[in-house]
Amino acid sequence: MLGFGLIKTWRELSAKGIMGINRRNADYVLKYNKRSLYPLVDDKILTKERAIAAGINVPEMYGVISTEKEIEKLDTIIGDRTDFVIKPAMGAGGDGILVIADRFEDRYKTVSGKIITHEEIEYQISSILTGLYSLGGSRDRALIEYRVTPDPLFKSISYEGVPDIRVIVLMGYPIMAMLRLPTRQSGGKANLHQGAIGVGVDLATGLTLQGTWLNNIINKHPDTSNPVAGVQLPDWDGFMRLSAGCYELCGLGYIGVDMVLDQEKGPLILELNARPGLNIQIANNSGLTLRAHAVEHHIADLKRQGITESVEQRVRFSQSLFASSPSQ
Amino acid sequence: MRSLTVHLKILIALCVIIGVSVTAYQIYVLGIPVSAEETDNLWNIDAKVEFRANAREPVKLQMFVPPLNQDYVSLNESFISNNYGVSVNLRDDNRLVTWSARRASGKQTLYYRLVMTKRYSGEQVKAKGPIYRESLPIEGAEKIAAEALLAPIRQHSADVETFISEAIKRVNNTTDDNVRLLLGGDTSSERKADVIDVLLSIAHVPMQRLHTIRMQSDIAQSPELWLRSFNGEKWLYFNPQSGAQGLPVDRMIWWIGDEPLVNLEGGSNAAVTFTLNNSEMNAIRLAQLSSENADAGFLDYSLYGLPLQTQQTYQVMIMIPLGVMVILILRNLGGLQTLGTFTPVLIALAFRETQLGFGIILFTIITTLGLSLRSYLEHLKLQMLPRLSVVLTFVVVLIAVISLFSHKLGLERGLSVALFPMVILTMTIERLSITWEERGGNHAFKVAIGTLFAASLAHYLMSISELNYFIFTFPAVLLIMVGFMLAMGRYRGYRLTELFRFKAFLKD
Repeated sequence: MLGFGLIKTWRELSAKGIMGINRRNADYVLKYNKRSLYPLVDDKILTKERAIAAGINVPEMYGVISTEKEIEKLDTIIGDRTDFVIKPAMGAGGDGILVIADRFEDRYKTVSGKIITHEEIEYQISSILTGLYSLGGSRDRALIEYRVTPDPLFKSISYEGVPDIRVIVLMGYPIMAMLRLPTRQSGGKANLHQGAIGVGVDLATGLTLQGTWLNNIINKHPDTSNPVAGVQLPDWDGFMRLSAGCYELCGLGYIGVDMVLDQEKGPLILELNARPGLNIQIANNSGLTLRAHAVEHHIADLKRQGITESVEQRVRFSQSLFASSPSQ
Repeated sequence: MRSLTVHLKILIALCVIIGVSVTAYQIYVLGIPVSAEETDNLWNIDAKVEFRANAREPVKLQMFVPPLNQDYVSLNESFISNNYGVSVNLRDDNRLVTWSARRASGKQTLYYRLVMTKRYSGEQVKAKGPIYRESLPIEGAEKIAAEALLAPIRQHSADVETFISEAIKRVNNTTDDNVRLLLGGDTSSERKADVIDVLLSIAHVPMQRLHTIRMQSDIAQSPELWLRSFNGEKWLYFNPQSGAQGLPVDRMIWWIGDEPLVNLEGGSNAAVTFTLNNSEMNAIRLAQLSSENADAGFLDYSLYGLPLQTQQTYQVMIMIPLGVMVILILRNLGGLQTLGTFTPVLIALAFRETQLGFGIILFTIITTLGLSLRSYLEHLKLQMLPRLSVVLTFVVVLIAVISLFSHKLGLERGLSVALFPMVILTMTIERLSITWEERGGNHAFKVAIGTLFAASLAHYLMSISELNYFIFTFPAVLLIMVGFMLAMGRYRGYRLTELFRFKAFLKD
């Protein structure tokens, strides 16, 4: 009887248009993402340079360290800034990121309150350079950049760390969005598989929907026990435009755009992901396949008419089509 | 996109069709055995020639030996004789061996030995023979008797075939006066054959005598006389005693014609005895032998054409695609998480050397200890390469210690860990610890179990000897596998685990 139940599950999932890994890889990642463009999204430094050139908002880059010798330059790069972030350029899953919140005497203080010495920072950078955190273990570069201060709005529904907003963009059309909230379990990281919460976001209004945590549907943040639904994200149209513009920025047709809302600078692009995860579907209680098909259909129509749409038009199209019914 | 799909479909169809047809050709046309256990009959035929040589006279003995263009393959042929020169000649349709010696005396024994099999015979050459001949001279009472016999034969027959069998039947009816006259009191099959020959010659039907050996072991036998005639398309064989048509499959033609088997000069009392025995032989071994002896060469371009040692390597290698396919199915259809893509296959290969149960225990112990060392090293903040080197050295020491212990305990298994699994172990430890750090212990544990499961399954399938034999003998099967892999390349359905992962959708 198990087999029968599975077939039923299969049918229901595909009726809802839920996208599986195989479909994502075959129909979207392989089809729309040219391999040669991958370095652009895998290397955060390249992404940042591109974005700056295109006039897209990103956290300010203080400097890059690419050899052991250059670690000496760390002091001049930091200057007298009290807070900054050190990241591996090709890191995955938020590993190897060091967030310095303050200085304490001659030492540094991380966001979690741990005091570390200058040597420990240098060791961390050296580890980054040897490729400890990079995909495939190849040599890497370390990126030192502006530390984003999350908007106080998120205080009640996140635990430490910086919540970020992930938007899946197909050929320049945003098709689904999610707010990712760090939890105690995720160690302040906004990665779902590390235990962060994903909260669906209505593309039309920027209102949060239900949440997902470890493949389950949840309604409250496990650490603060505040409801996650019904929060209005500020400057939502700004986020939409920013994410839609990333198609022109990198040329990849199917990406996950990770953005943050800085207290002072507003929406900023953190990084792009060429293989965005699928849990966003649970957070939105909606399947990606149906939405992707709608966009592909629309693009085919436009192509026949010989029209290409601007970022504004694309955002408006997505918002009109993918508005969810008012949250239950 | 559409054209790509069509392209892919054609490619898949091509792979599968070629794979299936090559394999089918090998099995059905070449007759290569499907299983290594299959055996086949191997015949060992000895013809022993004994005679008494005249003193002070050169000896020359000629004997017919079977022509080689029949529906069997001769694997080995030998002429065993002391101090005799041997030469083999072709005469008409026959082969004739000539033993000769300048001087010999007393009892002489010569042997002819043929080792052959019915299987793997090559294509038959198109038969040809005479379809007309002049009548043999016959006069007087015999002529009248023959004509009297022929009249009803003509009446009761429709063609050459029925004519001959009718003639044979009549001649075997010894109560008939005409037959008795023609036979002249001699009812041996040779005499009957002569009479049949005469009768047929009057009707201008050609006829040949042939002498056969029955393929049956351990019975004393002498060549059996048969008749045959060519009807324009093929040879028709008849039993001179019963008139039954068709040569039974267990007969082998030894020679054709009226001449005696042995022709001896410079000796007397020549006698030939035949001894046959059959032995069973592994079919694929037989195929190899036949391929060497007959010019069939159907195994020349198979992997059996490689030197033996290389063959052994390939027997392992050719199973790797199967292991890879197992991983492919488990990952893309099942959604099983494994460490890296092909690490499970490498571990499965390592299991070959350690055996499954012991391999799993060994892997678990070494990986667990290695992981604890790795997490300790983490505190020392070492760079990647030195850290890896330390882990590898640790693995080597660990394996050495385990080997030593198991040796002292009398378990020789521990010694079976070879060089190959060591690097795999080190890489497993490294990757597992990275997974541990990035995804947490739970996930790492899940991945480790998944890897071991996939490796065990792959190892199990890769070590089934029937499968190994089949793929090694019919490598075209790999093409079918490629077709499947290509098809998997565009599979978009859910993975089994996703059905559970997305269960949350179905609750409302």
